[in-house]
Amino acid sequence: MSRGPSITAMPPPRNMWDAINPVRLLGELSETRYWMYLLLLPSALLITAIVLFPTVYGFQLSFTEMRLNRPAGNGAFVGLKHYARMLSDPIFWVSLRNTAVWVTASIVIEFGVGLIAALALNRNLPGTKVLAVLILIPYFLPNVVAGNMWALMLDARVGVINDLLVKLGFLAEYKAWFADPNTAMAAAIFIEAWHSFPFFTLLIMAGLKGIPADLYKAADIDGAGPFAQLRLITLPMLRTIIAAAVILRVIGLVNSPDLLLILTQGGPGRSTQVLSLYAFQNAYKDFNFGYAGALSVVMFVLLMLFAWAYIRLSKVNQD
Amino acid sequence: MAQTRSGSKLTWNILSYAVLIVLALLSVFPLLWMLLTSFKVEDDIVTRTMVYFPTRFTLDSYVALWNQSGYPILVINSLVTTLMTVAICLFTGTIASYAFSRFNFPGRTPLMLGYLVVRMFPAVLMIIPLFIVMRNLGLFDTSLGLAVAYTSFLLPLFVWMLKGFFDAAPKELENAARIDGSTRIGAMFRIVIPIARNGLVATCVFVAIAAWNEYLFALMLTSSTGSRTWPVGLQLMVGEFQLPWGMLAAGGIISIIPVIVLFALVQRVMVAGITAGAVKG
Repeated sequence: MSRGPSITAMPPPRNMWDAINPVRLLGELSETRYWMYLLLLPSALLITAIVLFPTVYGFQLSFTEMRLNRPAGNGAFVGLKHYARMLSDPIFWVSLRNTAVWVTASIVIEFGVGLIAALALNRNLPGTKVLAVLILIPYFLPNVVAGNMWALMLDARVGVINDLLVKLGFLAEYKAWFADPNTAMAAAIFIEAWHSFPFFTLLIMAGLKGIPADLYKAADIDGAGPFAQLRLITLPMLRTIIAAAVILRVIGLVNSPDLLLILTQGGPGRSTQVLSLYAFQNAYKDFNFGYAGALSVVMFVLLMLFAWAYIRLSKVNQD
Repeated sequence: MAQTRSGSKLTWNILSYAVLIVLALLSVFPLLWMLLTSFKVEDDIVTRTMVYFPTRFTLDSYVALWNQSGYPILVINSLVTTLMTVAICLFTGTIASYAFSRFNFPGRTPLMLGYLVVRMFPAVLMIIPLFIVMRNLGLFDTSLGLAVAYTSFLLPLFVWMLKGFFDAAPKELENAARIDGSTRIGAMFRIVIPIARNGLVATCVFVAIAAWNEYLFALMLTSSTGSRTWPVGLQLMVGEFQLPWGMLAAGGIISIIPVIVLFALVQRVMVAGITAGAVKG
């Protein structure tokens, strides 16, 4: 297909209409060598305008003073001021630590539950197709609905989860999960894991379909038990897809403050304050765009480092 | 030996069912609870002892939501923004995806990686400059501005997902059409896109659900009921009234009905598309 207009040649225009007929002109254009670039042009321009330009602008903002509520001195170059402030900003360090907890715990639970669900679904037992659809539903629910649904169920006065836990004897009385700094993060992680574990289920199921059944038959003959098969066949065969899923999910977890913004706004105290939330609040509440920009740049760099290291490590293991 | 193996197989089957049923219940229970709550009277929601099933079935919460909170406008705004997002992705993304799928040209691999890498950019890092740019262009607090902002993370996703469907469409028919004298663009619109129709629909639905659900960009880039979307409006109710659980539940139910319906309609193709893109990527 890339050989150019060798297969067909358009006949020369016969009359005036042919010369300006847009369908004919487009057809002719599509036979030129530059056709694929023309096809890519609109989306490339759009991505340049709304992704690349804002990103570069964001980097620039992080070196300038930009407070929308204090117009004086806006746009002035301040060098590394915001980055220097970060080093002595205790909230930044708390946010960094919380981000690590939030991302690590969520990923571990989501991957674990996602893997177990995928392995169970992959046995193709009768009736499990319906269960698969039900299990995938949380992933497609809006953060706002998922967050408020769980906030209702965990509410200190009217929460049904509290009622069930009390009735089952796990709790002495209703608990205000999001008012206690010791449980707020755990509750938020639980909700996040509930929301996103189907992502891992989806991807791992796709990966499982690609593993040749012969491998398991051979392992059966060699007397390898199910756990040995999981460790020696399934997980190594899924390495690429697990790496892709983990990276995508880590990006999502680091970048989106949505769920925490809905559930806790970083509280109580700073117990659920994460970097993305801190950056967003700096921009949205305090209009301090320069500092918010610097915080986002730090997040971006950390993510790039993580992705690079993770890909390196999973490749090194392969050899 | 054979007996113990079939015995252990049975154990694993039972275990699989147990795990799947527990997970399915866990996935669906919150939704059912929200549905029940939306039909309860206030006295059944805020009680001393938990009321599981409504003592009196009522639509009060839905009526209150519809009349008091301006919810219809929010839903229409969301619909407009979602349709615009899908339209932009459809017009610019389909041809890009086709180009990646069918042509080999200098710069193809770096460009494709570029479309992937932009997904790593923190939303917050883009929201702030977008806010300033949109304000300068007069696109702040408009549905079009919000849709364009959504395109920043949904267009790359759209291109990658659709590429999987284009890759799966056989090239032979297209070649036959070319030999019969069809132009490249003719073959694209008459042969390839119709073959990949289901995938195209599923990809659009995926993007539509994401745009419909989005919260953070909408919070930052809208400021009035002229363009505010339902997730922002729903969340504002939390502060506005004294935790109106019934209305929140009703709003949640209304807003996820389109998501559930669309998901149910194209779930099989969409799941195949998400996973195919990921396996190859």
